[in-house]
Amino acid sequence: MAGGTVSGSGHTPDEPAKEVRRVRLNVVLYRVMAYVTGVVLIVLCVLAIMQAFVNDEEAVSIVGQIHGGLYIVYLLVAFALCRRLRLPVWPTVAVLLAGTIPVMTFIVERWVTHRYIEPALAGATAAASPPVPEPRP
Amino acid sequence: MPGSPEASRWRFLITPKWLAWHAFVILSVVGMGWLGYWQFRRAEAGNALSWAYTFEWPLFAIFAVVFWIKTIRDEVHPPAPTTWQEEAGLPVGARQRGDAGEPDGEEDGDLIAYNAYLARLAKEVRGHGRWHGLR
Repeated sequence: MAGGTVSGSGHTPDEPAKEVRRVRLNVVLYRVMAYVTGVVLIVLCVLAIMQAFVNDEEAVSIVGQIHGGLYIVYLLVAFALCRRLRLPVWPTVAVLLAGTIPVMTFIVERWVTHRYIEPALAGATAAASPPVPEPRP
Repeated sequence: MPGSPEASRWRFLITPKWLAWHAFVILSVVGMGWLGYWQFRRAEAGNALSWAYTFEWPLFAIFAVVFWIKTIRDEVHPPAPTTWQEEAGLPVGARQRGDAGEPDGEEDGDLIAYNAYLARLAKEVRGHGRWHGLR
């Protein structure tokens, strides 16, 4: 079959492999940032609730600033990933805002992994590896 | 000028979903600007830690505007499919299975199975080719 699904392309063979590596790196960075930002945000919330009993404004401010800084990094990494995987606009907004809502980064990370990262990597890996036919029952 | 090609090219910007997107961006930018100003007042009132937020909120507002511009640019000039999408021929494969009906006689069982596998992957990632989701 000409120009078919398996054969026929003008690209050098290592191009998709490179793209897969880039996607993988971005996924790892995103996951690290999602978990770190999420944990710091939970710590911040616990501290803020403790304010009612112990007045320690200093700790809240410091953790708040740490979360603020981490969130900027999270934004950059998550936005890069969303663009790389061609996420639609509203899911992108959801991913970006997740970093400001407690526990949300963990939930969104799982959803993004299932809904976007795994299919993309499955497609990318199929493209990067030589077309070994997959026998099906 | 309504009706000219140049005008119809930008017509999508006034469809309801895009108007909702513009409203969302404007509201969030105004909101973030207001929060930045609030932190600035707190910082001036002596809350030293508010200085960081005074600069952080405008940064987020700029980010929102950059995001908004990129969505519009992607709509006017859709980005080329990534290398691996092309390489896998995923959307093409899916369409060929549907349109062409019977496979070539030269295809052996393994290849048919592999193409079915690709078509299944294509189904999973369909709609990812274009980045924006306002549809």
